[in-house]
Amino acid sequence: MNLATRARRTFKIGWTAAWVWSLYKVPAFGRRITGRPPRPESELSPTHARAANHILALALDLRGVMIKMCQAVATRSDMFPKEFIERLKQCHDAVPPKPFDVVRSVVEQELGKPLDAVFADFDEQPIASASLAQVHRAKLHDGREVAVKVQYPDIEDIMHTDLANMRRVCRIYEYFDPQPLALLPLLTELTTHLSYELDFVREADCAERVRDLFADDEHVKIPEMIREWSSTRVLVMELVSGMKITDKDALVAAGLDPANVLQDLMHIYVRMILAAGFFQADPHPGNLFVTPAGEVVVLDFGLSKELPDGFGLGLFELMFSLMTFNEQAMLRAFDELGFRSKSGDNSTFLAIARRMIDRSDTGSFEGEFTEDMTDELFEAIREDPVAEVPTDFVLVARVFSLLSGIGHTLGSRANVLQAMSGAPAS
Amino acid sequence: MSTAELEDRTSFSAVELLSSGDYDEPLIANGVRCHGGFDADGRYRSPRTLHRGPAIAAWQSRLADEGGALIELSPGLMPPQYPNVAQAKLLLQNGVRDPVVRALTIISIVEGFGAMIRDVQVPDLGEIFVEPIEGTALAHLEKGLFEAHARDESGYRDEGGHKQMWEAARDAALENPKIPGDVLMRLMGRRGRGGRPEPAFPEIGPELERMLGFMANVLVVEVFAEGTFQWGIDVLSDPAVSAAPDVAGGMVRNIQADEKPHVEYLRAALSEARARTIRTVDGKTIAGQQVVDGLLHRILRQMTKTRPNDQREDVREGLVEAMKAASNPARLLEEFDALDQDWTPPGKTGFEPAQDAA
Repeated sequence: MNLATRARRTFKIGWTAAWVWSLYKVPAFGRRITGRPPRPESELSPTHARAANHILALALDLRGVMIKMCQAVATRSDMFPKEFIERLKQCHDAVPPKPFDVVRSVVEQELGKPLDAVFADFDEQPIASASLAQVHRAKLHDGREVAVKVQYPDIEDIMHTDLANMRRVCRIYEYFDPQPLALLPLLTELTTHLSYELDFVREADCAERVRDLFADDEHVKIPEMIREWSSTRVLVMELVSGMKITDKDALVAAGLDPANVLQDLMHIYVRMILAAGFFQADPHPGNLFVTPAGEVVVLDFGLSKELPDGFGLGLFELMFSLMTFNEQAMLRAFDELGFRSKSGDNSTFLAIARRMIDRSDTGSFEGEFTEDMTDELFEAIREDPVAEVPTDFVLVARVFSLLSGIGHTLGSRANVLQAMSGAPAS
Repeated sequence: MSTAELEDRTSFSAVELLSSGDYDEPLIANGVRCHGGFDADGRYRSPRTLHRGPAIAAWQSRLADEGGALIELSPGLMPPQYPNVAQAKLLLQNGVRDPVVRALTIISIVEGFGAMIRDVQVPDLGEIFVEPIEGTALAHLEKGLFEAHARDESGYRDEGGHKQMWEAARDAALENPKIPGDVLMRLMGRRGRGGRPEPAFPEIGPELERMLGFMANVLVVEVFAEGTFQWGIDVLSDPAVSAAPDVAGGMVRNIQADEKPHVEYLRAALSEARARTIRTVDGKTIAGQQVVDGLLHRILRQMTKTRPNDQREDVREGLVEAMKAASNPARLLEEFDALDQDWTPPGKTGFEPAQDAA
């Protein structure tokens, strides 16, 4: 990346940060000097919306890491107002693909051979392109059909520049703001996740780990990684074709029951998260397919996450107690998972547990863990003086929200309790 | 209302079937308030049995009056627990706790999953059965019976259920042991094999088969659980291996008492279905006995043949590793295996399909 590009990105990030900061602080300053009380949170909605729009515009302009940052913010409904969440979650990372010459150059550089020496055929048109990489269909000389994921050549530089800029912005913000949001830990987390996503060797390791986990499960398909032709920036894997998991018509036309597909998907995630403590943390519909035989295909292990020892069992207890309307057990699970209140007593969590259970105990719940429910949980957390929410929990909650969204698209509801029991879809 | 008056009734509201009597003392298990409680004489009273107990007796009595037989599962079908009582005690005496902690934890979780019964869809049984169902257990499945069962198993609101009671027994007896990290994997790990079960009676429709199949499955599990309770009582009441023999053993006895209404209402409802005629989806009829016996036969065959081996395999998988905690693992394994008891599943389940229906 040249100096001019770097300067342009730095300026734009700095300018947006200053603009957003002034949106909040200038009126606050005005009120202070005129002796009026600060605006209550209920009146800040338009300001939140304007700020989120500015950030969204910046991300769509700079793309790459900024898009990832917006996606990360959009998952933190425990920290940010709903205006941010609603706007920034629209930030999809589908971007125009890079020219084929760029792709060829990365592949040849990484594999140390001309493209033709490795692939008998290589489709110049990508089948997908995102903020960090794009994917091409190809064929190896032994006849195997493969998908080749190629990282953009300048993405690592962009990442370092943008993250350094954002870190500076966060430090300045924390210096000036008397009660700052904890943005630096979020940035550290984002840095970690991005470094995972840019390391394709790690991604192949993660994919193989999950493939081993489901080796004896005929409902799951994880593509085989072709390690001999993969590197940190090029990942070659078995090409698996199928229907998009949200394409209900195609599923039905193939003789599959969308409800069973959804239940299988839920079981896959419950088993990864709760039982194995290791999971692919990005189950958006673009990463999930279904083969005509009904196997659920999981792709893209760039954002895979290892949970701390015992966390899966704690989550199991939390979800189980929520779905069986047991507030006391839910309270114990909150504690085991590392939720802490400022006051140190349990009243906050008891109130949250009751609120969640009141919501779920309606007679029509049937074991679903929905986006609405996680939103409700985080809303309750924001309103109450909860000081510590485990980051891993936030990521897991996002996964279940995404799964719930897939369920809505399919017009079905997964029964999480059934998935946790290991019972097959009926 | 007196017990005699209650026994004359065969129709109850959901509120009645979910109601408990007054207790003189609540049941507190390891600091957790659980369901049920103790009367003035210190006897344990199960939850939600104020009307449920007499109601079940009334339905069973009515079934007998109408000439219907109550389903009986032969105790000989019950596979033994593995590790057995002697083996479990041997492990604990030698400091090998993981297999027993794992077994107790899995029992507690499986008990909790009993709550899934509240999610079972109940079709319009009045339409499905040719004979009327008013005043039967079948008519009350959705009106309190499933919900009471679910609450008993997993707890409800501020009261713990069997899941929490098993956990309390485990933690009291084994002094809050560390839970092996592979518990959930053991529980969820076997799903992929074998694919989805094919419908046994497509003519009755998936919803009814699911409901009757679920009930038959739970009935078998509940009856077989009798062996698990005895195992739990024998192990956890032994002061040689239990830090709280009275508390832990007593807790399992309380759970055992709570399970009786589950077994009895399921026996009643399935027997009622067995004594009736089912309208098929294509407008014909099929004897309820053929369906219920067919489902019970399939489940019993699986549970007596496949499951004991699966359970044995699961325990063996981590046994050698767990035995490294002992001073002489090889010798301990030898002693452990010497305590094993042979068990051969009975050749018949007692619910074999009739020749003409096969």
